[in-house]
Amino acid sequence: MTELLKVQALTKSYQQKGYWLNRKRITVLDSVSFTIEAHKTLAIIGETGSGKSTLARLLVGAEPASSGNIYLNGQELKSGSYKHRCQHIRMIFQDSGTTLNPSLTIQELLDEPLKLNTPFNEKKRTELIRMTLQKVGLLGDHMNFYPHMFSGGQKQRISLARAIILQPQVVILDEALASLDPSLRSQMINLLLDLQQQMGLAYILISHNLGIIRHFSDEIMVLSQGKVIECGNTQEIMTKPQHKTTQKLMLNQSFQLRVKNRYKS
Amino acid sequence: MNLLDIRNLSIELISNGKNIIAVDKVSLSMKEGEVRGLVGESGSGKSLLAQAIVAVLDDKWHVHADRFHWRGIDLLRLSMPERKAILSRDIAMIFQEPMACLDPTTTVGEQLAEAIDSSQLSGFFWQKQQQRRKAVIKLLHKVGIKDHSVCIKSYPHQLTEALCQRVMIAIALARRPILLIADEPTAAMENTNQGQIFRLLSSLNQLKNMAILLISHDLENITHWTNTITVMYSGQFVEAGTTEQIFSKAMHPYTQALVDSSPMANQHLPAKSRLMTLPGSIPILQHLPIGCRLGPRCPRAQQDCVKAPSVSNFHGHKVSCHFPLLLSPKAKKSKLQKAKSQKLSKVSND
Repeated sequence: MTELLKVQALTKSYQQKGYWLNRKRITVLDSVSFTIEAHKTLAIIGETGSGKSTLARLLVGAEPASSGNIYLNGQELKSGSYKHRCQHIRMIFQDSGTTLNPSLTIQELLDEPLKLNTPFNEKKRTELIRMTLQKVGLLGDHMNFYPHMFSGGQKQRISLARAIILQPQVVILDEALASLDPSLRSQMINLLLDLQQQMGLAYILISHNLGIIRHFSDEIMVLSQGKVIECGNTQEIMTKPQHKTTQKLMLNQSFQLRVKNRYKS
Repeated sequence: MNLLDIRNLSIELISNGKNIIAVDKVSLSMKEGEVRGLVGESGSGKSLLAQAIVAVLDDKWHVHADRFHWRGIDLLRLSMPERKAILSRDIAMIFQEPMACLDPTTTVGEQLAEAIDSSQLSGFFWQKQQQRRKAVIKLLHKVGIKDHSVCIKSYPHQLTEALCQRVMIAIALARRPILLIADEPTAAMENTNQGQIFRLLSSLNQLKNMAILLISHDLENITHWTNTITVMYSGQFVEAGTTEQIFSKAMHPYTQALVDSSPMANQHLPAKSRLMTLPGSIPILQHLPIGCRLGPRCPRAQQDCVKAPSVSNFHGHKVSCHFPLLLSPKAKKSKLQKAKSQKLSKVSND
């Protein structure tokens, strides 16, 4: 299978403000490379400040990279070419309550990316919105509602609808499942898995919850201080973490598992 | 003797003519030195219950209970100032989001010094300043902050979230409480910090024999740290028992669904398979279903569920459901017959 998204030596550094001589450069991401195939999920874990969210922002093009290349289907994505990029790489944010514009109805919200990126007329767009809403488990009539009329789980579904309405190839989930309640979270995981099978989406999942990662992802990438310290199959890394930082991350989670092991035996 | 004994506590929201029962007849009891988990999804009223215990709810909320005892003292008979005097002496609370709860305009050291009761300081007035400072440093050491001189001088925004949480715990410990209520102490924190905070709380529990009420929305996060767990749903009591009972022998369909929906508890499931879920979403406060509030989402719901179920006790494992799981068919039958005979006797009495 050919790779869908290929990232090569992606680096991001900031110039710190200060006087001329003691200006410092802070490197947030240090030559990160990875590839993803369609139908696969890559999980990114790491402590705070390890550059996970920066990587997500670079991939969607919210910030320009300092150096390095991103290839989608073998074609290079340059920092200016948003037209192409925003159709194929979409992102869902952590807090769905604050990322939906409260003064627009759901139809207007979902219409925006279509207006900007597709040549469809109004009738076609409305039909597409109705279909996408049904795909994420809402009703077509929900499009006349405002975001505040929905509960947290439903808002997250609307964010998902906004992400998949342009038929993207890669969806980035930046802690998108963290703020949901457990029963809604498992609904959302089921929905995401279904959509992956139907549409052949590739996910990049940024999460703290190792249980979800184990269930959801095919590969794991562990970041620490902007560097990739471990990368590989989920099962292998979960059972035999090599690097010290990874071991520490796994150890903290194992505290929460002891009762469950007792239950199994 | 029970430390805290609450029976049928209800919290009502009075809003233009229509009363909403946000918490409906919840019972909670705590023993000395116990760590109890209070689990519920958003809107289950767990934070409200905690705030009702420490009496910080404002006037629009009406709290009433059949019994509200604190170490044998009936708090409902006392006047508000008396009640608050007892509560502030014995109970401390850590609120959600430590960053937002600390005062951003004063340094951490001053906030800590403010929390220290002057009755703890012995000595003449010129010595008090020095003693207070020492007590602050001691408190910071107690919660595992070694670099006290930097911490005292800094403002909350200069510290990381885990450090802020530690400072919150230090403030709570200043009056040496008997019960500590921790409202989502690790929300939005990553694993490494979560572990640190939980380890700190459990060491305090073991060393000081301090009882802890640990509030969380996620069952899987806290099972390692608790002795007993109470589960709530949408303002109603669901189930209470030891951690083992709740986790491996859940009787309420809701608890069972919570356990089943956690990917961490179901390691035997193959990756990328579907997880068990409850259909629908959590009802909002304005449109609560009558009777058992889980009713519309419950896989075992039957006609009886439009009436609120009473709490039944199975060897200390309390469950509030008409049709609890794990009951053998025989037991169910006998229960039905019992109900029928009761109804008949009622009719004959009439």
